[in-house]
Amino acid sequence: MSLSLDKPERLLRRGAGPGARLRWPFRRSTTISLLSVLVFLALWQMVPALGLMNVRYTSQPSEVATAFVEMLGEAPFYGHAWVSLREFVLGFALALALAVPCGVALGTSRYVRLVVDPPLMALYIAPPLVLLPILTIWLGIDMASKVAVVFLGAFFPVAVNTAAGMREADPRLVRAARSFGAGRLAVFSRVLVPGALPSILMGVRLAVGRGVLSVVVAELFVARAGIGHLLHVYGSALRMDRLLVCALVVSAFGYGLTQVVRRLEERVAIWRADS
Amino acid sequence: MSHIEYRHLSVTYRRPKTDEAFLAIDRISLAVERGSFVAVVGSSGCGKSTLLLAAAGLVAPASGSVAIGGAPVSGPGTEAAARSAMVFQDASLLPWRTVLGNVRFGLEMRRWSRDDLTERALRYIHMVGLADFADYHPHQLSGGMRQRVNIARALAVEPEVLLMDEPFGALDAQTREVMGNELLRLWERDRKTALFVTHDIDEAIFLADKVVVMGRDPGCIKDVLTVDLPRPRTPDVLDSAAFVALRRRLRESLAEDMAALRLVTEVA
Repeated sequence: MSLSLDKPERLLRRGAGPGARLRWPFRRSTTISLLSVLVFLALWQMVPALGLMNVRYTSQPSEVATAFVEMLGEAPFYGHAWVSLREFVLGFALALALAVPCGVALGTSRYVRLVVDPPLMALYIAPPLVLLPILTIWLGIDMASKVAVVFLGAFFPVAVNTAAGMREADPRLVRAARSFGAGRLAVFSRVLVPGALPSILMGVRLAVGRGVLSVVVAELFVARAGIGHLLHVYGSALRMDRLLVCALVVSAFGYGLTQVVRRLEERVAIWRADS
Repeated sequence: MSHIEYRHLSVTYRRPKTDEAFLAIDRISLAVERGSFVAVVGSSGCGKSTLLLAAAGLVAPASGSVAIGGAPVSGPGTEAAARSAMVFQDASLLPWRTVLGNVRFGLEMRRWSRDDLTERALRYIHMVGLADFADYHPHQLSGGMRQRVNIARALAVEPEVLLMDEPFGALDAQTREVMGNELLRLWERDRKTALFVTHDIDEAIFLADKVVVMGRDPGCIKDVLTVDLPRPRTPDVLDSAAFVALRRRLRESLAEDMAALRLVTEVA
């Protein structure tokens, strides 16, 4: 099937019957995005083939695809991926478990805010990776230091956004709840938390990106296993095809998880549709 | 004995920036008879909302007291406060809950038994004419519909006293009139004691048995008018000679404050 922009409409109009109708399955915006990817892949395949660039440095989609299939058949690849995944999940879960209560305390108590806000903001703005050398000295070159880096990367966006969500609670809603006799606990669980949920999830979405970045960079820096470590190994060996497979796996993981959180956000925030 | 009784009630607030205290209402005494509809009018900043909030226990008196049915209101969630329910201006509905969820919310907070919450909430949603919209979220409703939900939420907890803080203040003129009629129809069914704050003179006369005029700096009662228009009332009453006379009197009562207000806006 050839691709062109005006194809969808033409195909629609030409439809003979409901069953026989040949219908382009994507919306126009999706079609354009898809097309840009395809054009990029085509150029990438062709430019080294025409000798305009050294395939050694750029590889080619076909090589990457072959490498991908090869690597899927190799046990060590899964081992490395499993290490990275565990580091990420552990650090991320720990961050969520601590960041949400911290953010709640920060968003609801003025005193906690006064004490904790300056150092928190400083750490939020500084990339957690600046602490990587110290963490490596403290925790060694294996999983623990990576879990810590992921934790630091994911903790702050969640804590800061949770706090913001709690702080931005509408006082009119709180007052209405209190007028019906809601106590502190009920105001908290029925008004503040549901109101802050979209904001908390936004923090989680940002945290996914930071967490993935943290795990890969930490492994690149110093490690004996993990996808980042693989990236390092293939980079040193100039195996562009395999290096790119690793990069794709990482970005697919990050993208997928971000999309999951985004779906959750949309679900939780249907009521924000008017704003 | 009167149903709501304000005795020499003063309330002070703190200004947000300077933290200095100022008197929002000054030694107000007011008795609201059981089953009567009392409207409170006055220019903005005269403390008319404060009067309501005090009855709901949402602001604490600096001195004096408010009692409902003889029991002093000493805070939200107290027994006396639980005898009333409040209808707020727009935007007091939980945006993540549906119409049904919002009406249930009041019942949940008042700890009604769980079994019949939904059924009871639906009954009141039906009563305010939103039976087809129970699953809608507030952002999908018009301003008038949102206020119907607000009213249903308050009525559903079956309060003895209905406190209404400019419930139609954010609505356009037509919707406002429709809602006024509707409210009157609902109120005339069981004649709960009602305290209704508004800045709309016509609305006040149309709805109330008594209109309390408040003055500002500090908030105090300047005048109380008895509205002896026959019930049930229809919008036709708005053109009657008695209504027009009452309106003139109310405007005179308010004139002084309005002049002051004009001066303030000019200076600002």
